[in-house]
Amino acid sequence: MVALSQMDEGGAPAIRPGDRRARARGLRAGLAVLLGFVMLVSLGWGAADDTRVLAAIGARLGLAEASLRDITIIWDIRMPRMVTAALVGASLAVAGAVMQGLFRNPLADPGLVGVSAGAGLGAVAAIVLGGFLPAALAAFTGAYLVSFAAFLGGWASVIVLYRIATRGGHTSVATMLLAGIALGALTGALTGFIVYRANDDQLRDLTFWGMGSVAGATWAKLVAAGPIIACALVAAPFLARGLDALSLGEPVAAHMGIHVQKLKRIAVLTVAASVGASVAITGGIGFVGIVVPHLLRLVQGPEHRTLLPNAALLGAILLLIADIISRTVVAPAELPIGIVTATLGGPFFLWILLRNRAILES
Amino acid sequence: MLKATGISVRFGASTVLEGVDFTASAGQITAIVGPNGSGKTTLLKVMTGEIPGQGSTHLNGSDIAALSPVDMARKRAVLPQAGNVAFPFTVLELVRLGLTSGLATNDADHLDHLPERALSRVGLDGFGGRYVQDLSGGERQRVQLARVLVQIWEPMLDGEPRWLFLDEPVSALDIGHQLIVMQIARDYARAGGGVVAVMHDLNLTAMFADRVTLLGEGRVRAEGRPAEVLTDHALSACYGCVLRTNTLPPAGGPWILPQATGIHP
Ligand SMILES: Nc1ncnc2c1ncn2[C@@H]1O[C@H](COP(=O)(O)OP(=O)(O)OP(=O)(O)O)[C@@H](O)[C@H]1O
Ligand SMILES: [Mg+2]
Repeated sequence: MVALSQMDEGGAPAIRPGDRRARARGLRAGLAVLLGFVMLVSLGWGAADDTRVLAAIGARLGLAEASLRDITIIWDIRMPRMVTAALVGASLAVAGAVMQGLFRNPLADPGLVGVSAGAGLGAVAAIVLGGFLPAALAAFTGAYLVSFAAFLGGWASVIVLYRIATRGGHTSVATMLLAGIALGALTGALTGFIVYRANDDQLRDLTFWGMGSVAGATWAKLVAAGPIIACALVAAPFLARGLDALSLGEPVAAHMGIHVQKLKRIAVLTVAASVGASVAITGGIGFVGIVVPHLLRLVQGPEHRTLLPNAALLGAILLLIADIISRTVVAPAELPIGIVTATLGGPFFLWILLRNRAILES
Repeated sequence: MLKATGISVRFGASTVLEGVDFTASAGQITAIVGPNGSGKTTLLKVMTGEIPGQGSTHLNGSDIAALSPVDMARKRAVLPQAGNVAFPFTVLELVRLGLTSGLATNDADHLDHLPERALSRVGLDGFGGRYVQDLSGGERQRVQLARVLVQIWEPMLDGEPRWLFLDEPVSALDIGHQLIVMQIARDYARAGGGVVAVMHDLNLTAMFADRVTLLGEGRVRAEGRPAEVLTDHALSACYGCVLRTNTLPPAGGPWILPQATGIHP
């Protein structure tokens, strides 16, 4: 048995007790394959018109022939929606993992502690106040303005929350969650106030968006918010080493050579960018940020250098699946995706709470 | 050489350290002793750059105020008095965090094996796969020491000594592991590194320290070799109880016996 466990096929280094990096690498490969599969399913592959889907995907790349109608459906309707779900899922999962590392707390989630609400306030303000801009200007800046305002709202929320909940490098769970509730209520009220001033057209946008939805995804919105999310996803792995060190506390991280203030600033910006840009396209989608990192930590351990990439993959997969569910359970109508993630994530969150009782009650 | 001069620290209205001078030489274990609240941890924190204070600290001739976190991490590692771990790390993963920065070499193979070697050194062979949160207090303290050792495994780097700062490294350990850990510190010093250790056990201090600084109420009360500092008079005055110092027959070092009766008024 011992000999077996120390041997490894293909000349890979022997398995060391307590080393879960090999497992994380295997998991990453598996998740990448699964993501590709789920993306295809999301585009309609697996339904009756398999070959037409593949042909339409290939057509724009010059690989196949397809009717203009098929190409339009795949590339201009399904594709932006699929890319949005994948990108937002990845972004929310990474934002959750980074935020939990920053707060040194597995219960920190942008949705739970009011960061998404803050970003939502920024976005709603931009949508409604944008209505006062000259029409030509509004059409041009609209999506960008919403993304940027959501980013600012999220950023302000994380900073306020961190200031309140963290003292001397120690975050109190109770303070964080309660401050998050207060922050969420306050920004929610302000949002409501602004929505009250909105006109009917804006209102329809706002309600659907408020529940979290990828139905309104367009290439135009993706172009505005995608680069911000991409920046955050690219920046996140550079935080991994620092967040790992931060698990032992701020002083220890500093002793190990981490520039803690810089790390925290970049982590806050990363969370704000990914949450803000996500909220700008899809509204507040809850629970991805807490469920994904938690599941992964169970399987592969808490090291951020493997956690962050895998969280991006699993987050994308989960939101794509949630989107597929939201389109199929009440077909031909569809549910806002936020309802699906909340239905799945709520019970899961309660389970996490029970597992973390010790932390909460300390 | 570690040289701290005129260190003063105030928290609000209370003065915790007042004009403390402290020096330690590479190749030696320098112990800091003193009663609870006398400022030992605070002094260590100032000298490791964790908290600001008046005065200056020079490590191997460089003012620590001018060193970046990475430069500091290359020169010294710090074992804090207490610590908690935010996520469920295994022992191996935690010790591997010692490799975060400040490494003496890029030899991947050597670095890869360091965590296990450090664990073996602190008497935790075969603990790599355990979860840190499931360990006993003493085991956890030794895991943290292993992490600290990994950071500055080689006692010398580019001809300069590296430094171990240990805040009560043996406070949670049984007597056998106390000796093991103190021996690790001694070996590190004998190999050219510097060791600064905050200690409560005066007998271990007498046995292992080359120099001792006795702190009382934020000031240096005595400084010198153990036999010079650990005297009836100085100790009893500082700790507020009666202590008898005796001389150990072979080596001539002091040993200290507390007296149950006659607590000072
Ligand atoms: N952050 C702080 N704010 C206020 N007072 C502090 C702070 N840190 C330490 N002190 C005070 O400074 C004094 C010295 O503390 P320090 O931790 O240096 O003592 P110590 O000698 O290490 O004691 P022990 O043997 O108990 O570890 C104590 O009275 C403590 O209450
Ligand atoms: Mg102390």
